[in-house]
Amino acid sequence: MHIVLSDVTKSYFIGKDRFDAVRNVSLEIDSREFISIVGHSGSGKTTLLSIIGGIARPTSGTVLYEGKDIYSLDKDRLSEYRCEKTGFIFQFASLLPNLTSEENVLLPVLFKTGNRAIAAAEKKAAELLHMAGVGDKLNAYPSQLSGGQQRRVAIARAFINDPEVVLADEPTGDLDEATEAEIMRFFKRMNEEAGTTFIMVTHNSGLARDTGRQLKMDNGSISVVQGI
Amino acid sequence: MKKFNLVTLATKNIRRKKFRTGILVFSISLIVSVLVFGLSFIINVSSGIERASARLGADLIVVPVGARSYAEEVLLESKSKSFYMNKNIINRVKKIEGVDVITFHTYLTTIQGVCCDVPEATVVAFNQESDFIIMPWLEKAIGRKLEKNEAIVGHESFLNIGLGLMDAMLFGTRFKIMGALDKTGTGLDNAIFTSDENVEEILQKGRSQLKPDEISIIFVKVKEGYDPYIVGRIIEGDIIEADVVTRSDIGKDITGALGDINMIFSITVFMASILSVLLAWAIFSATVNERLREVGVMLALGAKESHVAKLFFIEVFFIGLMGSVCGVVFGTALSLLLAKSFTILKNLPGGLNAVDRAVIGAAGFVIGTGICILGAFSPVQRIKKLEPLAVIKGELA
Repeated sequence: MHIVLSDVTKSYFIGKDRFDAVRNVSLEIDSREFISIVGHSGSGKTTLLSIIGGIARPTSGTVLYEGKDIYSLDKDRLSEYRCEKTGFIFQFASLLPNLTSEENVLLPVLFKTGNRAIAAAEKKAAELLHMAGVGDKLNAYPSQLSGGQQRRVAIARAFINDPEVVLADEPTGDLDEATEAEIMRFFKRMNEEAGTTFIMVTHNSGLARDTGRQLKMDNGSISVVQGI
Repeated sequence: MKKFNLVTLATKNIRRKKFRTGILVFSISLIVSVLVFGLSFIINVSSGIERASARLGADLIVVPVGARSYAEEVLLESKSKSFYMNKNIINRVKKIEGVDVITFHTYLTTIQGVCCDVPEATVVAFNQESDFIIMPWLEKAIGRKLEKNEAIVGHESFLNIGLGLMDAMLFGTRFKIMGALDKTGTGLDNAIFTSDENVEEILQKGRSQLKPDEISIIFVKVKEGYDPYIVGRIIEGDIIEADVVTRSDIGKDITGALGDINMIFSITVFMASILSVLLAWAIFSATVNERLREVGVMLALGAKESHVAKLFFIEVFFIGLMGSVCGVVFGTALSLLLAKSFTILKNLPGGLNAVDRAVIGAAGFVIGTGICILGAFSPVQRIKKLEPLAVIKGELA
């Protein structure tokens, strides 16, 4: 697995004014890397993560995944990339309110294989929820969970399809320090044992230092690169 | 765990907004029930007329000039009417080229307490030698011809008046009621039948308006290869005292009026359907806008456009289905309850059969579900094409 971003720009227009959320970013990400992206609010971290995750088409530039530009794929193939290759952890509460924790975790399986594989994935969903610390909340609806518990369910969901890349946008934002550490240990373990690549946006410089490579974004560009 | 698929997800979504779903289901059921009720009425009337005229078995009906509508009222709507023409018309009709066989009826109206001891009904005096209208039913009922002073009642008379096994005084003569005919599906089901041998005695007793040598109606079968319409026109041309109705023209006035009602009804249903489509559009636009972030999350998790469209259309289908089923049930119940409130339906023979009801129900279902799908089409098309991040952030174009 190898991701290459070449001269990627994402622009928005507010009236006639153009605003570059991401500006001329070029970046190579190798398999099994653990990258953190830090920066002020509005510096373009979430947009860059979304571009890599296939959910925001860049205005210019290319995003190559295993040598293929993901934005040259047709819509269904791009959906398959999102479903099978990546696991996305959103910054906001992203659980579907009318589904239980277990069903929320199984949702990407439904999109990947239809309902045929649901029964087989149930055990895995339960394991992931247990690993995320909400194993006793299988049948709870989001409204019955705290913000932190909802975040844990969303984290479990990101791993259900065994993604090659996990894109995490402030994954521990709602969590206390102990849980944050626990989640980071889980990420590390997945990174080291399963070989999952992590790209994590965070405000927490302590967490960022604990990753293999730290990128700092400023005004849509990568200004500083630290680590290997 | 229970089943988990797009259908279960859709049903969960439907349950989320019970009130909104309820309003849409209610509006769909209203429009479908109006449609089912209206269609039931129109099909009931037109098929009743068609069935009755076909069962009479005559190609042409010859009646006195100006009595065409009276004849239709007797034959289709079971109303009691008296109209007479001279008996010599029978022989004049027989001589017309193309006429194969003929028979005739004389209709007498009973008045309870004056001439008869039964409520108002039509007594049909028919010629047993030539008859092809009543005889097949009579053969089936008693297996022989009626004797003098014997009568047999139509299926509905048996049910409505209670005639069947007792004797009855008709026009001053006591008649032995031999039983009841099976349902013929014509207006004659409400009549009392007797042989024309009895007419002379009735005339002698002077309890009827009937004069000697008068009959009411002549039924004509035309020879093979002859056009009933042309034969009818020749009869009318040769016999100026008579009007002729072809089988296909029976009930034409009623069906003509029905056509106008049908048009008004169709325009009303069409306009109400447009309103319902707009309502469905407004509700689904609001639903889609509310669930933008959810759709964005689903797309980001790997849902294809087809998954999103399927999910919404399953919801739409279920809502349309619920509305349609309620509408079909309510409309059918209404048509059954009110069937006897409409004079035309009360008197017209027959009714809707299972196939008619199934076709009307299917039409209601297609319209009800179609309204929902049409209303939801544009909002669903709009959302499924959006970039996930834009949807998540609510940056809709």
